[in-house]
Amino acid sequence: MKWIDFKAGIQDFWNEFKRVKFGLFGLILLFIFILAILINPYIVPFPEASSRWRDITYWENNPVSAPPVWVNWFSSTKRAPSLIIEEHAFSEEKMGKIKLSRAVFEYEYSYDLPPLDVIFHGYAIGSPVIMLSIERPDGHIIELVRRPISKSDGKEVRVSIGKDSRIESYNFGAKFENLEGNRIEREMVKPTSVLFSEAKEGILVYPSPLKGTYRLIAEIILPAENDVVEDIYFTFSGGVSGWLGTDSSKRDIWSGVVAGVKWALLIGLLTAFTAVSIGVTYGVVSAYLGGWKDSLMQRIFELFLSVPLLPVLIVMSAIFKPNIWIMILMMSCFFWVGPVKTVRSMGLQIKEETYIEAAQAFGASSSRIIFKHMIPLLIPYAFASMALYVPSAIVYESSISLLGLGDSTIVTWGQILHDALTGGAVLNGLWWWVIPPGLFIALMGMTFAFIGFAMDKILHPKLRTR
Amino acid sequence: MYWKYCIRRIIYGLAIFIMLIFIFSALFNATMENTLRSQIEEEIRAETMRLDTRMTPEEVTRYIAERREFKQRLYHLDKPIWSRIFWRAVNVLSLDFGKATIMRSSSGESDVWTIIAECFPRTVLLFTTAIFINIVLGLLLGLKKAQKAGGLMDKTTSIGTMIVYGMPSWWLGMLVIMFFAYTIKIFPSGGLHSVPPPTGFAYYMDLLYHMALPVLTLVLIGFWGSAFLIRNIMLGILQEDYIMAARTRGIPERKVLYGHAMRTAAPPIVTMALLSLLASVGGNIIFEGIFSWPGLGNLYWIAIEQNDIPVLMGNLFITTALYIGGLVILDLIYGFLDPRIKVGGRQ
Amino acid sequence: MVDTDNVLKVENLKINFFTRKGIVYAVDDISFTLKKGETLGLVGESGCGKTTTVLGLMKMVPTPGEIIGGRILIDGKDIIPLSENEMRKKVRWEKISMVFQGAMNCLTPVYTIEKQMMETIQEHKNIDRLQAKKCIINYLNLVGLPKDIIRRYPHELSGGMKQRIVIATALFLEPKIVICDEPTTALDVVVQAQIINLIKRLKKKLGLSVIFITHDLATEAEVADRLLVMYAGKLVEIGTSEQIYGKGGPIHPYTEKLLKATPRLHEKVEELSFIPGTPPDLVDPPSGCRFHPRCSEAMERCKKNEPPLIEVEPEHRIACWRNHYE
Repeated sequence: MKWIDFKAGIQDFWNEFKRVKFGLFGLILLFIFILAILINPYIVPFPEASSRWRDITYWENNPVSAPPVWVNWFSSTKRAPSLIIEEHAFSEEKMGKIKLSRAVFEYEYSYDLPPLDVIFHGYAIGSPVIMLSIERPDGHIIELVRRPISKSDGKEVRVSIGKDSRIESYNFGAKFENLEGNRIEREMVKPTSVLFSEAKEGILVYPSPLKGTYRLIAEIILPAENDVVEDIYFTFSGGVSGWLGTDSSKRDIWSGVVAGVKWALLIGLLTAFTAVSIGVTYGVVSAYLGGWKDSLMQRIFELFLSVPLLPVLIVMSAIFKPNIWIMILMMSCFFWVGPVKTVRSMGLQIKEETYIEAAQAFGASSSRIIFKHMIPLLIPYAFASMALYVPSAIVYESSISLLGLGDSTIVTWGQILHDALTGGAVLNGLWWWVIPPGLFIALMGMTFAFIGFAMDKILHPKLRTR
Repeated sequence: MYWKYCIRRIIYGLAIFIMLIFIFSALFNATMENTLRSQIEEEIRAETMRLDTRMTPEEVTRYIAERREFKQRLYHLDKPIWSRIFWRAVNVLSLDFGKATIMRSSSGESDVWTIIAECFPRTVLLFTTAIFINIVLGLLLGLKKAQKAGGLMDKTTSIGTMIVYGMPSWWLGMLVIMFFAYTIKIFPSGGLHSVPPPTGFAYYMDLLYHMALPVLTLVLIGFWGSAFLIRNIMLGILQEDYIMAARTRGIPERKVLYGHAMRTAAPPIVTMALLSLLASVGGNIIFEGIFSWPGLGNLYWIAIEQNDIPVLMGNLFITTALYIGGLVILDLIYGFLDPRIKVGGRQ
Repeated sequence: MVDTDNVLKVENLKINFFTRKGIVYAVDDISFTLKKGETLGLVGESGCGKTTTVLGLMKMVPTPGEIIGGRILIDGKDIIPLSENEMRKKVRWEKISMVFQGAMNCLTPVYTIEKQMMETIQEHKNIDRLQAKKCIINYLNLVGLPKDIIRRYPHELSGGMKQRIVIATALFLEPKIVICDEPTTALDVVVQAQIINLIKRLKKKLGLSVIFITHDLATEAEVADRLLVMYAGKLVEIGTSEQIYGKGGPIHPYTEKLLKATPRLHEKVEELSFIPGTPPDLVDPPSGCRFHPRCSEAMERCKKNEPPLIEVEPEHRIACWRNHYE
């Protein structure tokens, strides 16, 4: 088939496609997904989510199982969201050889529930000493942590107020709390809930929030000449975090879900493409060859058709524990049966056309006839099939992953759901963990359904009306 | 004529089934044998416990070796690989799936066949009910859509079909549970029946009560698809010449639609219904899991969690058998409904 | 005034199809009559409006088509204002029936012949099964089929058998008018001859008035008493068989070309003649006489004005400006 004809065919097809509104809608959705993959690093707070999903250090600044930030809009008790503050007022003093740096960070607290943790970050060379204190809106200044850093040529420093200032916070709170008759264990009191609450009775057990401007003061003693602490910032692990919250391993779910887009597209399109290519070729060749070869191919086909797909895939995955590429291969190995019957009957019809007879009379080889004359006619149908197989492939993979049999080295929506189920999301009502991955599966399925049905509609004008 | 077709189809189905069982046996041979060997060791250990304590260590060792050899011969483990695969397959075909390693049936038995046989009717009950409702609703809607094809209702319901096309049934199930069982607590969140199960008539009501949410989910997802397919089938038929010919002869529209058209549509519609049923055999593993519905699908899930290979294998074989059986029945029914096959060609 | 001689009178019938691409003027102002006992042939190219016209006679024009004007008088009564219910109960099949193309898929594949014929009779006549069955077998015999054919399904029968069943079904309510829409087109020549003879015999025996459609002029010559020639939705010539088939005499250029295009067995044919060009687009038909783009004798006048049907001989009318002058 000449390139001009092919191009004209595509042109016609596109003109028809444009007319079907929901097809265009599907195409737009697809572009949005593809765009999401391309601009992934810019729209998520954790761009390396895909490769570092199981790396706990990547996520350590997040809160555990925190709902999404927009939950605050709907609830009366507002939780402090996760935050990074880099801006600070910096001053330096020199006392002989020793330098004293002072960085003051301002934090606006206007919420009802405090952050779960406040963490100091910096990059230290040498052996500085870091002292953290907090100045509250009511004037109290509390010294929280004094941390000497062991000597090094340069390393990341991380000081968690939530972990390291229990004693100091407790002592502060105990000054105002009525401890008569109540023995309140120090371990039961969260430092941040004391630090951000009103200094009055009840501060340890029923705290009420103290809203206002807080100042986090980081004083750093640099004893040696070459000691340096740079790139300092504070992170706040909020009660709410991110667009879709966090899971029980502190992972930002929005980053995970967006990371899953490319896998979903890859799995879906690759499986669909491979399966349909095999299926269409198989059907056409079977139709063309005819006779006993056709019958044999049909018998083999029926064997594959009789396999209940998902159970077999699951058992194979359970036993052989494949990676994602093997899974795609396995799925393709069974999906290909789909188009064969229709393609074969279409092929049989085309075979009866006289131009095929003519080509044979001219001595054209079988492969030439099949690939140049028959298959191009089936390409529209092939594309419609492919589009409609993508959702199935994605759902199959997510089912296998959800059962824990998938490839755990990659982040797919099914993997996230598996973690959700094993992480007790359903029991603990962590709906932000459970709903989004499935929602995205449904959305991508919908996208390809729109595209595929639109193509299908064009190919079956008999079912068109008016 | 029809009987010949039937017999041919059944034999054919059996052949395919046997072939698949052999393929599976070969594929999973290694794993199944591992399990078998460890089970043998356990049995021997249990037997050793019951031995006479007066036996000397050498006698005990000899005894163990004897028993091991005996059992290996029993399970054909001493033969070459093709023979082993053959015997494995034969076992399966005679419904001997062995014993479960961890799981037990509700009566405490470890026989895999019993475990599976218990779960099977529950799956059938759930999915047959749902598909039946789907078909009835699909017929009503599909017919209406075909009559006013291209109209507003047709277009909007088609959009509905596309929206649920890629939606996993288990995900919708999760949403349904979260809403109807946790937010508005009107339905139970899962399980076959309440604990303890009521007796008599109340038992059936309780069963229906527990079936409500899963069936609702299945219908919400499924009925769009069946309406769409039925609409397409009917639309194709309504454009046929014999429909116009019947109208020309003065046959009332009602008879044309529900008689001529629908009767001709019966084979493809029944095919569609049965295929949906087949797809749900073992295809709804997660769905059953979400609703804790103790059917075949859920059995897979538990077997995977507990790593109980015999149950997994047994379930796979049964599922395959049901699937192929279903395909054969499908062809038989289709042949019965379509006189072109039932009665055959020109005499 | 009761028109006892004409069982069917069509006056200024107009049928349009309202499609996405525009209005198709499928049948544009057609008038003709059908006398009792005569066979009226309707000829023309594919797409000229023959089938649409006869479907209009039964008010079975498929959507998006609609009858938008004219009168159809069956036994003196206009059927156009009748409701669908009245048409179904009183007119269709009882007053006017149709013999479809046998190769068409016009028998429901999942019902036996008996069931389909029985259903038709019982819809119209209030008789019990036994009597209905007798009637069915009677008519099957009439068309030359054995009675055990009623147990068969349509796919078991040959084209010729199906055609006969269709004929029997069209006749057993004894309608006044029978339309035959290309009943022999898809059959092989031998069967064709059999069916035509059968129709001729039945016509004589039952005194039927028949409209016979075909695009094969040779067949038409065999059966028709009078002929209607249609082109592009318009009636271009009406006349008796002798007038049209006979050599010499006035004729419409289109009819002339049609006749020439049919080679005769006993004539020496040097070259097959054909009509150049293609049938016109009925959404935007040619101005004036619709045939003028393909007519070898077109004049200026033909492009501008549409010629009316003019009587050139008794019973012979032609819509052509060339004949107007003669």
